[in-house]
Amino acid sequence: MIRVALVDDHDLLRAGLRSTLSTHFEIVGEADDVPDASEMIATSRPDVVVCDVHLPSGTAVDVIAQTLARGVTTSFLALSVSDEAEDVISVIRAGARGYLTKASDAEQVIDAVTRVAEGDAVFSPQLAGFVLDAFAGQLTLPEADPDLDQLTPREREVMRLLARGFAYKEIARRLTISIKTVESHASAVLRKLQLSNRNELARWAADRRLL
Amino acid sequence: MQSPPFPPSAVAAPRWQVPRLDRDARWVGGVAAAIAREIGVQSVVIRVAFVALAVVGGWGLVLYAVAWAALAFASSRQEGRYVPRPKAATPSHRVAAVALITVGLMVGLLPLTGSVFALVVWPVGFVLSGMLIAWTRSGEDGSIVVVRVVAGVVVAIAGIATFAFSRIEVVDAVLALIVLVTVAGGVAIVAAPSVVRMSRDLDSERLERTRSDERARINAHLHDSVLQTLTLIQQQCDDPVSTRRLARRQERELRGWLYNRPSSDDEGHRLRPALEQAAADVEQHTDAVFDIVVVGDTDDLDAEDVAPLIDATREAMFNAARHSGADQISVFADRGVDVVEVFVRDEGSGFDPDDVASDRRGVAESIVGRMRRAGGTATVTSELGRGTEVELSLPLRVSDAGKVAR
Repeated sequence: MIRVALVDDHDLLRAGLRSTLSTHFEIVGEADDVPDASEMIATSRPDVVVCDVHLPSGTAVDVIAQTLARGVTTSFLALSVSDEAEDVISVIRAGARGYLTKASDAEQVIDAVTRVAEGDAVFSPQLAGFVLDAFAGQLTLPEADPDLDQLTPREREVMRLLARGFAYKEIARRLTISIKTVESHASAVLRKLQLSNRNELARWAADRRLL
Repeated sequence: MQSPPFPPSAVAAPRWQVPRLDRDARWVGGVAAAIAREIGVQSVVIRVAFVALAVVGGWGLVLYAVAWAALAFASSRQEGRYVPRPKAATPSHRVAAVALITVGLMVGLLPLTGSVFALVVWPVGFVLSGMLIAWTRSGEDGSIVVVRVVAGVVVAIAGIATFAFSRIEVVDAVLALIVLVTVAGGVAIVAAPSVVRMSRDLDSERLERTRSDERARINAHLHDSVLQTLTLIQQQCDDPVSTRRLARRQERELRGWLYNRPSSDDEGHRLRPALEQAAADVEQHTDAVFDIVVVGDTDDLDAEDVAPLIDATREAMFNAARHSGADQISVFADRGVDVVEVFVRDEGSGFDPDDVASDRRGVAESIVGRMRRAGGTATVTSELGRGTEVELSLPLRVSDAGKVAR
């Protein structure tokens, strides 16, 4: 059974998540702030951490960084009310495997946790849209790594379909490829987003609002 | 010569370090504070010593300037933490040492004062301090640095002038005047950082006021919107449909206010606010929920150009909300360089396109016809049981496309 930990500072939301997820997963720990969270993750060693983005003394980025610093390997699924590009991109770049908004229904969350536990990437339509924005244009810097700093046409296609609201299964059907292939495209895009050294990417979210 | 064989890590306190200029405790350059910290006495003792030496024809100023230059040079090259170590056993020993050294210097320098001073030391002292002031970087921004450099150079030139004049023995009054002016100038430059600090304090006060205005504005907004809605929801909690609608509308409005504030005034110039507005319109009449994703949204769209697209999108949203039975409808808009594409998709009941009776004018007229008249296209794909997707595409005029900064 997949071992899941919950990090959220809202008790009610955490209770709701617990009752939703406990039917499918083993809930091994809960925390409501950054220091508690990294402590809890280090002791309870969950497979997946469902983590709120904004916590009282920091963000999910801090939780991920502290967990990595302790040498603990686990997968993070970020869950937030925020749709803001900066939040989403910074958490994904810190190493989260997926991002869901709190508007997602129970089924989506359960599906996402399962997917993340298997090492797959989870894209909400909103996140796919941000990714398309982040890799937009034909901007290639001389020092940029073209393999990392651009999406392949197929990856772009998959992202567009995700942004249009299609599930992996539907995308596989439309592109007549296997679900596994769709998943590997999604994982590749996530990896590019995390590894890309294009410095625009880091500043992108902020700049975007000035356009 | 052999160096003592201890590894650096084994030594708790480092050997003698060059003192750092103590910028936090400084009056002028932090020299006195730095020396005091190194020796282990109150900085006032060193300051008194410098003043006493300055009285002896100005040697204190020279020493100060030299020490300042040396420390500033050394400090800039040092990394790591500076741990001062008091140099003598007791505080009174230290004070006595400083006093003796000061008196010794005074006595030693006194004979030189009469002749050398008027001719060399004073002018050189002024030149040195002028240059130091000009080159001391105190973290100010461009224009202030320029002013300080110019002022410093003026002091330096004045110093040189004094030197020249005193050599050819011009009238004492002129000399005194020049000296007076240079001293006043020097004092003004030394005081400059305080003046800057004062104006900075004023700035931060202004910033604080702006912040509290902003807070008041946010409070007012939250009161008018969120609190009102919460009250309404409490009154109507028996009616789940309208409660949900109210909450949804408020959420959309609050998100728009939080994340898209700049464009809320000129709706239509960006895609997102226009689509949000369309979704809000449809949500008024149905209980569908729209998930809107926009890519490449820039604010240079001509509201009139995209109006047909927005209207067609609203119509597609309305159809999906009314006929599909799906509770979540995805709207994806992609602003390309020369085209805008919008996809409205539901996972509802769907329909057989061949089956649509000619009386269903809604799609034909308000979506397909509208897009065609605007120079775009509309495609409706649907499959029974698999939902419906409306694909809208509107080419942008070249002049618009040229403006896109992507």
